[in-house]
Amino acid sequence: MSVHSRCAVGRLFTVFQVIAATIFVSTFGVQAQDAGAFHELETKYIFGNFTVGSSTGIEGEKAFEPETEANFGKGGGHYAVAQTTLEYEFTPTQYMQIILGPTVSYYNIRGVPGLDDRNMAAVNGFEAEFRSVLIDRNPSPIAVTLSLEPEFHSRDETSGAKVVNYGLEAKLEADAELIKNRLFWGFNLLYEPETTRADLGQWQNETTFGISSALAYQIVPNIVVGADLWYLRHYNGAAFNSFTGDAVYLGPTFYWKIAPKVLMSAAWETQITGHEPGVSSTLDLTDFSRQRARLLLEFEL
Amino acid sequence: MQLNLLPLRAVRSVRTCFAFTLLGTAILIASEHAQAQQSASVAISVKDHRFQPSQISAPANRAISIKVKNLDTAPMEFESVSLRVEKVIAPGSEGVVNVRALAPGRYEFFDDFHQEARGVLVVE
Repeated sequence: MSVHSRCAVGRLFTVFQVIAATIFVSTFGVQAQDAGAFHELETKYIFGNFTVGSSTGIEGEKAFEPETEANFGKGGGHYAVAQTTLEYEFTPTQYMQIILGPTVSYYNIRGVPGLDDRNMAAVNGFEAEFRSVLIDRNPSPIAVTLSLEPEFHSRDETSGAKVVNYGLEAKLEADAELIKNRLFWGFNLLYEPETTRADLGQWQNETTFGISSALAYQIVPNIVVGADLWYLRHYNGAAFNSFTGDAVYLGPTFYWKIAPKVLMSAAWETQITGHEPGVSSTLDLTDFSRQRARLLLEFEL
Repeated sequence: MQLNLLPLRAVRSVRTCFAFTLLGTAILIASEHAQAQQSASVAISVKDHRFQPSQISAPANRAISIKVKNLDTAPMEFESVSLRVEKVIAPGSEGVVNVRALAPGRYEFFDDFHQEARGVLVVE
């Protein structure tokens, strides 16, 4: 990352701290009168779901969760790609959660340098996720969960080309309650190695590393708003062999517990700075998109 | 015919991850079972969509068995985010909710079907 980018990231973290301090101070004014109206929240989805909270659900709970991630914008032309995972989530113990489901993708690509034009939808894979509590919130102020997500895809997530792709998304998902039932801080650490076989028959390895920080504030009961900041690095090779680019995403998040058994979580993030070796642009639009969004609905069964 | 198989290293990694996950699950289930054998018992009832009493106590670092009696004519669902449990209890019947050993603190619970019904478990 360039010196300019480092300064930008530093400023962003400062902005985050100022926002947190402002919310903290403003909350004291109303906390006394309405403290009883705000109840405990499961933190898993309150950060908009790019950053995931530590909650692993309630023992015996089962849910259906369609989750869509969309990416918009590349170096030119028109680029819109979305992937929906039709997840079945269940919690067999008070320490572990399992999520399984097929993925369906939609590609609308026109005139993007380096990518074939494509307008199609396809069932393109299967994902599973195993989440286990590492550190419980009480007595620790920070709760931490380990998430392992093996994935298989039959189409490239970026281009839609036919491939055979296996990946393992490993994440540490941590959060802390800064003000009881009101203000939460989330932190994720991501390591995602993938191996892909394309037309030429050779396997190619790549790795994504990421770190995030998010704030979420329960503004009225069951509605949480916040902001999410991600720093992502992409490498060729399974062990950070060759750096190909990095990006910083920032955007708002929204969570709404619509009914006791239904919730919604959404995030929209823009790449605000990035770097690709040998390219003078201030964004990395080869490894990452200009904008990305996530929308999740949960229906408890 | 050419067979295109997943690289051996990737297969090993995935297999190792699954093995660790299974081992972790087995350890957790075994430890939960051991704790449940020495669990503390607490009783609570629900009438007119209110917990009676609304505050219950239990010892720290021991599994807890909460006996919930539903005295109403409608079903209720005992639920708690921090205890990570839920159980639907039919009208006029009793259910048992098993909770892991807890650190000292206050843990909220509620009736998910009638959310005005709320209570707290004090662990000390």
